[in-house]
Amino acid sequence: MAVFAKEWRGEFRTRYALNTLGLFAFTTLVVVSVSLGPLGVSLAQGTAVLPVLLWIILLFSAAAGLPRAFVHEEETQTATALRLAATPSALFCGKLLYGLTLTFALELLVTPVYVAMTSLTVKSPGLLAGVLAAGGFGLAAGSTLVAAIIAQARAKGTLFSVLAFPVLLPLLLIAVELTRGAVAGDAADVALLQLLLYDASVTVAGFMLFPVVWNP
Amino acid sequence: MRKLLAWLLWLWLSAVIVGAFLYAPLAKGFIGQSSRILFFHVPMAWVSFVAFIAAGVWSLLFLRGRDPKHDRAAAVAVELGVLFGVLATVTGALWARVMWGAYWNWDPRQTSIVVALLFYGAYLALRSSLEDRDQRARLSAAYAVLGLVVAPFLFFIMPRIMFSLHPQSVINAQGKVEMESRMVQVLLGGSAGCTALFFWIHNLRCRVQALAERKSALYE
Repeated sequence: MAVFAKEWRGEFRTRYALNTLGLFAFTTLVVVSVSLGPLGVSLAQGTAVLPVLLWIILLFSAAAGLPRAFVHEEETQTATALRLAATPSALFCGKLLYGLTLTFALELLVTPVYVAMTSLTVKSPGLLAGVLAAGGFGLAAGSTLVAAIIAQARAKGTLFSVLAFPVLLPLLLIAVELTRGAVAGDAADVALLQLLLYDASVTVAGFMLFPVVWNP
Repeated sequence: MRKLLAWLLWLWLSAVIVGAFLYAPLAKGFIGQSSRILFFHVPMAWVSFVAFIAAGVWSLLFLRGRDPKHDRAAAVAVELGVLFGVLATVTGALWARVMWGAYWNWDPRQTSIVVALLFYGAYLALRSSLEDRDQRARLSAAYAVLGLVVAPFLFFIMPRIMFSLHPQSVINAQGKVEMESRMVQVLLGGSAGCTALFFWIHNLRCRVQALAERKSALYE
């Protein structure tokens, strides 16, 4: 919890991640929306294409913002102090919470604007909220562990995308499928359970592997 | 003894190749001779699967005992797994061109092997970007174990959500083998042979790697 508070205190001091992440997401959103043209896409195409684009925007924005949690510690050489001050599981918990709040803030910002800009009609908003929550959780959990791995390597920025995307791809495929369902007005089905299962397994793996990754 | 085993393996694999073309009959419902590629495609896919699982197990062993031998074994298994995975993908794509009319159509199996190749490609990229040997072993082992955790979603859950044209596995959901017995013989023979080939190359590569490490340690 102390780590979580520290992260946000640091964040509010510089507002680096929030500003860049928000702007990055917004820029991508505008690029996508402009490229679709003033008329947008037809209803039938929209159900197929728009959920994919939404998740790609979310994925890339998360990839732009989340790895900083650990890269920052190594860059400012505060990692050693953190190693002394906090147990690995407390640290992972704090960083994960920070990543979660950041991802949820991102989704809250992006999704309404995206829905408005592409005039997408969502028939089951409840399911969409559920998918965003579960998907965002998985995104944050997977990214936090991978961020801890790449923080100690060279070429951190590119390496994060290379390492994180294959891990996050199953999540993305399930989430896109579910978002399509939400747009079309389906009820929640077994895929949501699979998404939650993915979240749970990645989080547990994170807690078990993080001590190995963190302590030399 | 080693030499004898290597020759036996050569004989075995030659027999499988001859058997694939001359002994096994053509499968029903396949265009022309296209079913023969199966005798090479399936063993390769199987070996890459074995290699990735083995790499995960060696990584787990490394994390438990911190023995550099296990780290080396995991890294070599990933390299070979990627090689066999690429071969399986290419042979599969050739077959898909004949049967389905396109080299690539994102069939669930194609999707999962591509994601697996991306993942293990990333594993190798991670290794090459870490210089310190202990750090490299530790971080890449953690990443490989993460792969073991994510893999079930790719191999078992995704094919169920998505529609697949891929032929049933050798042993399908009903647990029955629906294939001519001569085909099964060649297929299982090929899989066994390729698995032995994998472990043989793996053993050689590990020994070469160990010698290279000893040599570079001398110069330090």
